[in-house]
Amino acid sequence: MPTYEELKQTADERWKNLTEGAEPWIRVGTDLSGQSAGAYEVIDALRKTLESENISARIDEVGSLGLSYAEPLVDILLPGSRSRLFFRNVTPDDVPSIVGSYITSGELPRDKVFGYLGDDPIDGAPNLGEIPGIARQHRIALRNAGNIAPNDIYQYIANGGYAGIHKALTQMEPDDVIKEMTDSGLRGRGGAAFPTGIKWSFMVGSPGPKKYMLCNCEEGDPGAYNDKGILESDPHTLLEGLMIGGYATRASNGIVFIRHGHDGPIERTEEAIKQAYEAGILGENIFGTDFSFDIEVALTGESYVAGEETALMEAIEGKRSQPRFRPPFPAAFGVWGYPSTINNVKTYSYAPEIISRGAEWFSSIGVNRSTGTAIICLNGNVEYPGLYEVPMGLTLGEVINDIGGGVPDGKELKLLQTGGPLGGVLSAESMSIHIDFDEMRDAGAILGSGGIIVGDEDVCAVDLTRVLVAFCQFESCGKCFPCRLGMEHLLEITERIARFENRPGDLDLMRSVGDTMEASSLCGHGQLGFGPIRSALTHFESDFMAHIEEGRCPTGSCLGPHIAPKNTRPYAHDFVPGAR
Amino acid sequence: MADDITITIDNQEIPAKPGQMIIQAAMDAGLYIPYLCYYPGMKPFGACRMCVVTAEAPDREGNYRALPGSPASCTTPISPGMRVTTQSQELQGLRRGIMELLLSEHPHGCLTCHRIELCGPADICLRHVSVNDRCVTCPKNERCELKDTVRYLEMEMDTPLTYNNRHLPLATQDPYWDMDMNLCIVCARCVRVCDEVRGDSALTLQSRSGRALIGTSQGTSLLESGCEFCGACIDVCPTGALVEHDYKWDKAVEEVNSICPHCPVGCEMTLEVNKRNRLIRSIPDRHAAANRGQGCFKGKFGMEFVNRRDRIKSPMIRRNGQLRPASWPDAIDFVAERLADYKDGSYSLVASPRATNEDAYIAQKFSRAVMGSNSVDVASNTRPEILKPLHEQLGYPAVTNPIWDLEGSKRFLVVSSNMTEEQNVLAVPIKKAVREGSASLILIDQRETELARHAKIWLRPRIGSEAVLIGGMIRVIWDESLEDHEFLNDRVDDIHEFRNSIMREFDLVNVERLTGVSREDIQSAARLFAEQRPGAILYALETLPRNLYEECSRALVNLALVTGNVARQSSGLYPLFTGANEQGARDVGCVPDLLPGYRQFEDEGHRKQVSRAWNVEVPTSPGIGVRELAGAVDSGRVKAVHVIGDSPNFTNGELGHFKAALSNAEFVVAHATFENDVTELADVVLPSQTFAERAGTYTNLERRVQLLRPALGPKGDEEADWRIISQIASRMDADGFGYKDESEIFDELNNLVSIYGGITYGRIQAGGIHWPCLATDMADDAILYQESQADVKLNLAPMSMSVVPEHEDNEYPLMLAHGRVLHQPEEDIEIIQINGKNAIQRDETIQLHPEDAAELGIEAGDWVEAISGRGRAAGIADLTGPQRGLVSITTLFGDLITGLVQSEDPDPMLNVPTLPLTPARIVKLTAQVAAD
Repeated sequence: MPTYEELKQTADERWKNLTEGAEPWIRVGTDLSGQSAGAYEVIDALRKTLESENISARIDEVGSLGLSYAEPLVDILLPGSRSRLFFRNVTPDDVPSIVGSYITSGELPRDKVFGYLGDDPIDGAPNLGEIPGIARQHRIALRNAGNIAPNDIYQYIANGGYAGIHKALTQMEPDDVIKEMTDSGLRGRGGAAFPTGIKWSFMVGSPGPKKYMLCNCEEGDPGAYNDKGILESDPHTLLEGLMIGGYATRASNGIVFIRHGHDGPIERTEEAIKQAYEAGILGENIFGTDFSFDIEVALTGESYVAGEETALMEAIEGKRSQPRFRPPFPAAFGVWGYPSTINNVKTYSYAPEIISRGAEWFSSIGVNRSTGTAIICLNGNVEYPGLYEVPMGLTLGEVINDIGGGVPDGKELKLLQTGGPLGGVLSAESMSIHIDFDEMRDAGAILGSGGIIVGDEDVCAVDLTRVLVAFCQFESCGKCFPCRLGMEHLLEITERIARFENRPGDLDLMRSVGDTMEASSLCGHGQLGFGPIRSALTHFESDFMAHIEEGRCPTGSCLGPHIAPKNTRPYAHDFVPGAR
Repeated sequence: MADDITITIDNQEIPAKPGQMIIQAAMDAGLYIPYLCYYPGMKPFGACRMCVVTAEAPDREGNYRALPGSPASCTTPISPGMRVTTQSQELQGLRRGIMELLLSEHPHGCLTCHRIELCGPADICLRHVSVNDRCVTCPKNERCELKDTVRYLEMEMDTPLTYNNRHLPLATQDPYWDMDMNLCIVCARCVRVCDEVRGDSALTLQSRSGRALIGTSQGTSLLESGCEFCGACIDVCPTGALVEHDYKWDKAVEEVNSICPHCPVGCEMTLEVNKRNRLIRSIPDRHAAANRGQGCFKGKFGMEFVNRRDRIKSPMIRRNGQLRPASWPDAIDFVAERLADYKDGSYSLVASPRATNEDAYIAQKFSRAVMGSNSVDVASNTRPEILKPLHEQLGYPAVTNPIWDLEGSKRFLVVSSNMTEEQNVLAVPIKKAVREGSASLILIDQRETELARHAKIWLRPRIGSEAVLIGGMIRVIWDESLEDHEFLNDRVDDIHEFRNSIMREFDLVNVERLTGVSREDIQSAARLFAEQRPGAILYALETLPRNLYEECSRALVNLALVTGNVARQSSGLYPLFTGANEQGARDVGCVPDLLPGYRQFEDEGHRKQVSRAWNVEVPTSPGIGVRELAGAVDSGRVKAVHVIGDSPNFTNGELGHFKAALSNAEFVVAHATFENDVTELADVVLPSQTFAERAGTYTNLERRVQLLRPALGPKGDEEADWRIISQIASRMDADGFGYKDESEIFDELNNLVSIYGGITYGRIQAGGIHWPCLATDMADDAILYQESQADVKLNLAPMSMSVVPEHEDNEYPLMLAHGRVLHQPEEDIEIIQINGKNAIQRDETIQLHPEDAAELGIEAGDWVEAISGRGRAAGIADLTGPQRGLVSITTLFGDLITGLVQSEDPDPMLNVPTLPLTPARIVKLTAQVAAD
């Protein structure tokens, strides 16, 4: 097996060949947003055009730059240039003119040009580095996203990949790694925000040799795609993070758990694992040390609760994904009964850079007890929806107005929904809240997995709430009584209110059902299931009262068809208010 | 055992065991915390949240810290000094909140009706509540756990929550059970008991959220889901969602604990009796030591025979070829008069396998003391040789260890036994241990039985080569020094002769040739069994040729000794017979060669002891066993036959041409509950009580003496068998038969049978105890040959390579091994409906050895027919058979169950078809014939 230095050398040579070679290098974003905007049709058109024009060029599928609104995004690095020229919202019809003018003659097809990124300005194209959607980002976990091909381990290595695990294995003791992680202040990005270093330390003393590091990419939150985004853009950073965790906790195995149906992340992660084995980065005696580590991908059916850590372990074991009770905790009794530690994709993906660049560097980013960055999925009624990695401490207003471009069509912002369907609903006054785990929690919303849905003045809080509740109801696993039954009643009552069929005392009834669920449910799903209603009631009681007392919907959005009968899945578009 | 710790529940200090959950500690201390999904003996689940408590526990510095929130007591482990509060306004409020939610989808007229306080237990009213919701429409009315919890919570029943009935159709298409998912609270007890206790996983939770409900593993019918119809799911169901189909709505007016008469496991069942003197339900007792709340298809659904109208209700005497009703005095006179002619030793008595110890004792006493004949036996005693080596080498001809010891075994060796059907509950701890991964199972059987899918190694040797195979395993153990040196040194006398016999005779090359099992397989089986202790050996040997029973049993006893698997917990030997009280009958001397208490009848001293006790000389001429009876009648040695009870062996060939022989006997007396093949030929028929009307004792296969209690009142004029015999004896002027009741007989027999010496009716009221128990102040010995007998030496018996018999039969040149399993998900199957009931339809597979197939010109996938003396079966040829000369076919247990449900037999569970090997031939069918 090659040494790390040999791998790095090969990688650097290949990278140089890509960036300074004689061929144009075309990169097309084919993450989920690119794909759904038609990136693959664009690639087909590119291939065809290049062939007919007899041009030899390299095409790579890359991940996401985060600017979903501009997908499909195609960029071309011409030989001799140090800047990539980006074309936005490319259709197959645009391809001949792009190829014809830019690659063949170096001219800009102005109506398609988005801008350039790089050291050499390109005449007639704006500098994308200056638009807020890029300038205000601080990409750590997503540092390679959109830049390298996820299916080429050498592009990752050339950009500093696997240097972190190499450093850990050759220069650090496992306890040093844990200390570094603890000192970095990194907190779990799956929602609970538990300090990662401390979590890892729980498993250190558990008996081995077989111990599992699990990675959770269930990512069932509607409007959340940052985990999928990382895996589609740069799966190796996750693998490296898992390995660092494995080394620190003396684990022997890693499992990346991905929801069935997330095809892009599944394929790219599997390919990355295969390449890592081939390069000797996974398997026995990694980099000639006595550390051995295996990683595999596990899938489950579509179940939101499978993202709960113990339900996830059940699912990996091939069982019905329903939560286990604790104790015993996973660090003592996890998957198959072996000690296990579980983290989110995002959490692991920070580890390589934290180890490479040090805890101090990481903890200098962010605010208070929320160090590092937040990876935000910005959706709903905003001008520029997308996947943005921003330093902790920005205000919600900065994210929504500066990066997201504010609410389109001159409308007013009315509400925000953060942290997934179990999170909270916030009002326009919340724009001054900082993205900070603790500050957001105190405000009655959670950062959660990083999803933010923006609603404009046409959105009714009751309407939004019933969609959220319908989701939570459908996704209850059905194991514990309070959640299984309570969610049904919450949905029924919200529906009643939305349809002006409310009964006296309905709000109190919801609160009492919610209290029972919160106090007695087995897992977070039921405990937090009342959250969206509670926060909506706090901030938008008037919307509810308009329904209840006046029999009218203040925005009219509740007058649409009855969209969420019990026990059915609300569709994704239901989560983008006004989109249906 | 770790020491008890002390915790405080509601200001009361209670002892608790480390590792217990709060609710378990509370229950052990007799404190009630409401619960719905928890079930004693099963793993906690934590779904219903009804058992929430608040608790605080000291941290390392001793400062009390509250556990966060309100933890569920079923999933919260106790810790020393923990303080738990189970009752507070908040907790009650929380529980009421959950219960309100629950009742919003559960019909609850029974709970909300304003008359509830006024209503008697079996009242029926038609008013007050809407029809679908009425208490009387719930099959579990007044037996429902939900109701208990609601009453505990003192709930006000008007709730603002909307009531949503699920409006799902009832499922009544499967045998024995009805499933009403409108009443299900999704506690998953049924799913869990099926999975973790029974090891079947026939039930599963389907779907999620508000639609999460119980379903079968294949989503169709229990018949193909792996269900063994044990009814455990029904027994644990807290509501009316799962109930027995028969007598579904009937209310019990009396509940009596007694012992199941269907097999030697001796499950203690709670028998529920309605006001019309019918046994309506039998529910395995959760506290019973023998079965721990488990039962099987026979005990759960096979009790209807006691209720049948066609039971024989009065004595009958045959006059002019016709049986005519007679009075008891006339019938007794008639029998006494006729039997007086056969006091010369030409009398033979066949006792029922369901006879109590008292019946069996009186039967053999009558035969020996009054009729002067040692020819007494039990109808099911067809394999006495499997016990003989235990008697000779160890001391007692009986199972060495208790049933639930098996939970702790690390290894199981099962040889030729269809335990799942014949001693069902015995398989429960085995399947559980294997499924939990703590144990491995080695199976030696030509047939595919339910245990095959749980076996790590399944060997299918040539028929009759089992003893050679075991010898080969011992050889491997010795070659590789896997034997238990310490045990052999301490407990076994002379090992050298035995060791030499193994080394001399059991050459692995020969063993491989004779058994048809590869050397590697023999080695792995031996290693697997010997590498971990304790290991248990269970064997019925029902597929072996009769002349090899003893040899194979001896080999197994030797194997147990060599591996140190005797006289230790969770080890031992389990010879498996079939009669419910065969063990007891043997103990009290109801077999030809043994007098009460295992006295040898050949031994003059032993005979004298019995003669002294009875005041009558015990006959000296050898008796005739049940297997030789037909021949003895033919030869005229036996002229009068006294048959008590029924047995499938009378007609299935196990006892030869028994029925034909009876027709040649001069005089036949039958005690019977139903007209059967014997009553057809009997001169006198005397109506027998069933177990459900009986008092007395049964001794189960783990030597546990248990009490039967009468549950039913008289149905007609029937009598207890011991009483009938005693009356005949007294009428024949014999002394010593003037017993008032069963306990008097027991008092006499426990004087004579020393291993029962310390057992009295009084001592076993609360639960059976094992023999040997020599004195009333002594505890029983659950495990034989342990400390109290530690100085007793156990013996290895030298072995020789037996001759493996060749099967030679021109008409039926092959041997057919019929197997039966619960589940074959890999086979195509269709569930069809016949008269509204589910049935299985599928093509069977007939497995042949490729060389046999080649000789017959059969290729894989051909339609073939197996023809035996017992019948024909067609199927698709599969050429993966393990042995030449062996053909096998594996059917589904579900098929057996549909057959039992449709059976016209008054007592179908007595006659469940067994799975013997039968001589057969294979014919290739043309496509045309197959299509027909």
